[in-house]
Amino acid sequence: MSSNEKIEPMQMWREWFVKSEKAWSQALTDMMGDERFSQGMGKYMQEALHSHRMFSEAMSQYLANLNLPSRSDVLDLGDRLGQIEDTLAALQVELRDQRKLFVNAKFDADAVSANTDPRPARTKQPPSKA
Amino acid sequence: MAAKMAKKTSSETDEILAKSVDSRIKKIVERALARNILGLTLQEANLDIEVGPTPKELVYTRDSLRLYHYRPMVDEIYRIPLMIVMSPVARGYILDLAKGQSLIEYLLLQGYDVYLMDWVPPRREHSHLGMRDFALDLIDESIASVQGNSGETDVTVIGYCMGGLLAAMNAAVHHDGPIKNLVCFATPVNSNGMALYKKWADSESFDIDLIVDELGIIPGDMIGASIQALRPLQKQANQMQLLNNAQNDTFVKASMRFDRWAAEQLPIPGELARGMFRDFLRDNKLVKNEYMLGDQRVVLGNIQIPFLHVAAEYDHIVPTAASSDLVKMVGSEDKQEIVVRGGHVSLVAGGNAVYRLWPQLDQWLGLRSV
Repeated sequence: MSSNEKIEPMQMWREWFVKSEKAWSQALTDMMGDERFSQGMGKYMQEALHSHRMFSEAMSQYLANLNLPSRSDVLDLGDRLGQIEDTLAALQVELRDQRKLFVNAKFDADAVSANTDPRPARTKQPPSKA
Repeated sequence: MAAKMAKKTSSETDEILAKSVDSRIKKIVERALARNILGLTLQEANLDIEVGPTPKELVYTRDSLRLYHYRPMVDEIYRIPLMIVMSPVARGYILDLAKGQSLIEYLLLQGYDVYLMDWVPPRREHSHLGMRDFALDLIDESIASVQGNSGETDVTVIGYCMGGLLAAMNAAVHHDGPIKNLVCFATPVNSNGMALYKKWADSESFDIDLIVDELGIIPGDMIGASIQALRPLQKQANQMQLLNNAQNDTFVKASMRFDRWAAEQLPIPGELARGMFRDFLRDNKLVKNEYMLGDQRVVLGNIQIPFLHVAAEYDHIVPTAASSDLVKMVGSEDKQEIVVRGGHVSLVAGGNAVYRLWPQLDQWLGLRSV
């Protein structure tokens, strides 16, 4: 590869950006730490939340008139699915626990232990003590 | 005649220059195209890039908590199991990003029995869960599950970032409890060290109650934006670094895993956010020993168990100014702080952590896990 091929202005610019990013970021962060910025952000958040609520209420009414689900309905559905997933996860844990009890009770142990991973011994010592 | 010669030479020079510029532009365009085509290929191939490859099983679940047990990788393990408390705002797979780039895999290979308190996005019905639920109830229940699953009464707890804060609070309240050793990674205790967040929290115009009451669950995007505000151009710089290393498959894959993790900030329950904002950030109650979890006061000096704090020198999310008081406040005689070069995430997932930090962690834990 000749020396000409190594020169790439965009790459040089990107390298410069990466190197100077911390300083630029710090300058922006300092600006965000200014009280006026905090006030502006607080005001913006308040306005955004109020308008979000007003828009959501109006939109859900509109969607109801069209016989369509609103975001809230979709979230409700998501919550229901989440509850079902939680129940399944809890059942999975419960089943595994029952299976372990079953194995520990040595009930038909030969058949079951073939499918059960044996636990390693808890006897390891740190290298300096071993 | 001389003028004619000069004109001819000048036009030849122009021609050579034009060819040189043409060829330069052509090369730049070809290289840019090759890079973009490669980038697109990798992007497409890795959209579902695998993370969290270490085999594990779910042992306990409640609300947004998922407690996993990782399958041991060696025949002989240390007596005391390890339970890692992940930060509720981040996905736990950062600790198990890929084979060979996984703190959990490393610990398993060194002979530890590893459990992870991981989190899934909370639902609206979880919006009432606050600091007490996370720091006491959920950690207590997880420890009980680890005890039941492992058959051991002692447990070593490792907390990362906000997970460290929760673990330290638990250990301070239950100072005669089952936690045998405590390790905290980049754990904030003094909000004066978190300059930007502290300024926002102190500002009267920032109404956390309105946000919590209106939203119930604080969206992950909002958490992500507040973290990005600490270093606004880092994402762009990472993208440029990615372009500069587009020919390096390993770099690109690692970068895409990090990007995926960073983009998947978890939402948190409103009450938890309110507690963090008011009591921790604004009033800085932890360093004043005024933090209350229900009717129980959190006094970090009550922690008497062996304690290790690991901080990163260039951590911009939890600067050392916010975390260095932890080791000073903890009451243990056996306590230590390790400060390593690197950033917030490189502590647990950086390429160099496996050579620099993790062996020190193993050495510290090994002596205290028998």
